[in-house]
Amino acid sequence: MEPGGSILESIGQEIIGVMSPVSICMFLVVLLVYSLYNPATATTIRTAANLVYMESPTDSTSQKLEGSLLNAVVFVILIALVTFLLVLLYYYNCTKFLVYYTRFAAFAVFSSMGGSVLLSLIQHFNFPVDVVTFCVLHFNFTIVGTLCVLSSGGPIVLKQSYMVALGIIVAAWFTKLPEWTTWVLLVALAIYDLVAVLAPGGPLKLLVELASSRDEELPALIYEARPTADMGRSGIRGSSLGLLVGGVMGDNSGSNSFEVELQAVLRNEDNNGNENRDGESIINVLENESNEIEVVEEDVGESSPLIGGGSLVERLPSPSERRNNDNANGSSRENEGQREDGAEGLRGLKLGLGDFIFYSVLVGRAAMYDLMTVYACYLAIISGLGCTLILLAVCRHALPALPISITLGILFYFLTRLLMEPFVVGTSTSLAMF
Amino acid sequence: MENSVKGDGLMVPKNLQPFKPFSRSNTRSTAFESTGIGYTLLALGPSLSLFIAVIAKKPFLILTLLSSTLVWLISLIVLSGLWRAFLPFKTGSLWPCTLIILTSVAFQEALRPLFWKIYKRLEDILDAFADRVSKPRLFITDKMQIALAGGMGHGVAHAVFFCLSLLTPAFGPGTYYVEKCSQMSFFLVSAVIALAFVTIHTLSMVIAFNGYAEGNKVDQYFVPAVHLIAAMLTLVNLAQGGCIIGIPLLYIMALLTMGHCGKMVWRRLTEIRSRQGSSF
Repeated sequence: MEPGGSILESIGQEIIGVMSPVSICMFLVVLLVYSLYNPATATTIRTAANLVYMESPTDSTSQKLEGSLLNAVVFVILIALVTFLLVLLYYYNCTKFLVYYTRFAAFAVFSSMGGSVLLSLIQHFNFPVDVVTFCVLHFNFTIVGTLCVLSSGGPIVLKQSYMVALGIIVAAWFTKLPEWTTWVLLVALAIYDLVAVLAPGGPLKLLVELASSRDEELPALIYEARPTADMGRSGIRGSSLGLLVGGVMGDNSGSNSFEVELQAVLRNEDNNGNENRDGESIINVLENESNEIEVVEEDVGESSPLIGGGSLVERLPSPSERRNNDNANGSSRENEGQREDGAEGLRGLKLGLGDFIFYSVLVGRAAMYDLMTVYACYLAIISGLGCTLILLAVCRHALPALPISITLGILFYFLTRLLMEPFVVGTSTSLAMF
Repeated sequence: MENSVKGDGLMVPKNLQPFKPFSRSNTRSTAFESTGIGYTLLALGPSLSLFIAVIAKKPFLILTLLSSTLVWLISLIVLSGLWRAFLPFKTGSLWPCTLIILTSVAFQEALRPLFWKIYKRLEDILDAFADRVSKPRLFITDKMQIALAGGMGHGVAHAVFFCLSLLTPAFGPGTYYVEKCSQMSFFLVSAVIALAFVTIHTLSMVIAFNGYAEGNKVDQYFVPAVHLIAAMLTLVNLAQGGCIIGIPLLYIMALLTMGHCGKMVWRRLTEIRSRQGSSF
């Protein structure tokens, strides 16, 4: 019926490519919280996030508020210090050290924190497995994870799954924090993210500028959403988001298109052997400088009239992508566009692991109250992510990804809990619905 | 409120412990979780299949679904904000319920033309984009699919907030009965009602968008009327044993919506096809 395929088949693919792993991560964390959470036996652990004040349910409200604020401030200061340390190390070209340290941190998370999560799952469901089998399987899981998380070899699906697993483990761990501390911490981190990326002296801004000036990739844990190879039918890929938004903005010259990239830097801190991970997210916009948006590709089949075909100025390519981009740069002024060399030729959206973790922490905390709040927070976070992407397409410079989603998430959580729940539960228990 | 402890309608006296070869918690947890999943699938099963078959393949439709659900969530929050001062009212009393339902339906139906306006803007943008990348413009089936995704967002929002969020106890032992409708468990009744409403909401959006596109007054007024009548029918459930009458009537409304939508879609498609056929 449709000879050329409709545009509806492919628009928005990159956004979904980022939103689906975030959704999967949140869903699994909610499942974990529901199966493992037991308010009676929840023991609070001392981590970096509650160094100063250990919350207990018997404290008064003002005491809890003060304590949580202190906790949050201390945590943010720790994060800022570690980020500055990271910037310093990167400035003095200790990249190898950072890579090895990140690998060690991934190993520690998978083995110790992942192990404890798996053990509690086995305990809860009475899963019949013996110690030896568990050790062998867990060891394999950890080693494969460590190897494929930071390297570019191996199937991309494996790398993506391990990234999501990493996010789930750390988020599940963070949900053990007490309630007031969690909320205040999320707010503090959103504010910190905003400042660190946008303010002139912010550590993340420095880091991004350093990395871009050296034309290197950050030694960090980043989730990469590669577009699928199965796009021959529709033939539109790359930054259709950019073109779409460019159209909205009335950009008739059609001269600019761009790729969107969210990156994150992960830091670690040791605290009494407890590993805590945190991440901030920054969004880089890569500009595509070419004037030929309307070029129609004569080649049928695989290649597409790549939006703005021509050179792609990239600030932070990965080694494999750099290869392809050199080719593209070579043929910059021709109307060839970028051919697809397998899945690696195309740039997909990248999202930092810190975003995964803190979105899931918010949703996990909402899960401890009710399913209604879970759904409301999930929708709020997803819409915040979408807004951030659109804002990025408009603003075209580095933007933090945490603030909008966290703000919307917290707002919706409290609105749902205070306003909507009595209303909806009241009407639906009397079976009067609309 | 009667609270009998039953597991799937079976009374197990405490002194009778059946011999179980496996660990007790194993079998018990799977038995109870399956009832919860059963109620969930009852309310959302058709939507899930529709999602997997039609919507999951096109990323844009997923985005439409998400944004539509968000809009209805916000509408529910606004409504509950308006009515918060009057809560909690005596559940089961007629006049407060009627008032609440009237205002809620009116508010939600007022949002629909807004939806339509946003959709028109979006259609222009998409058509311009299609021209730029030299692809065909949006087909009529595309437009209907967007409307379907929007309607399904509404339906899923209803199912989640009115049915699923209350299902959490259904995943454990025991069940819950409402006084006025003591024949079935509360979870079953709300799942059945949610299924009817999901159908109505999903298809209403298709009918409404088509009505706005063609300027067809019948379609335009059909949708709010059906929504209002369906909501009023649930008020019948407030009477003792009213759900025996209320729920079949609700399903009649759902079938009516389905029939009208099917007829309208068929008519549009044959119109377009005959037009295309005659032009070649």
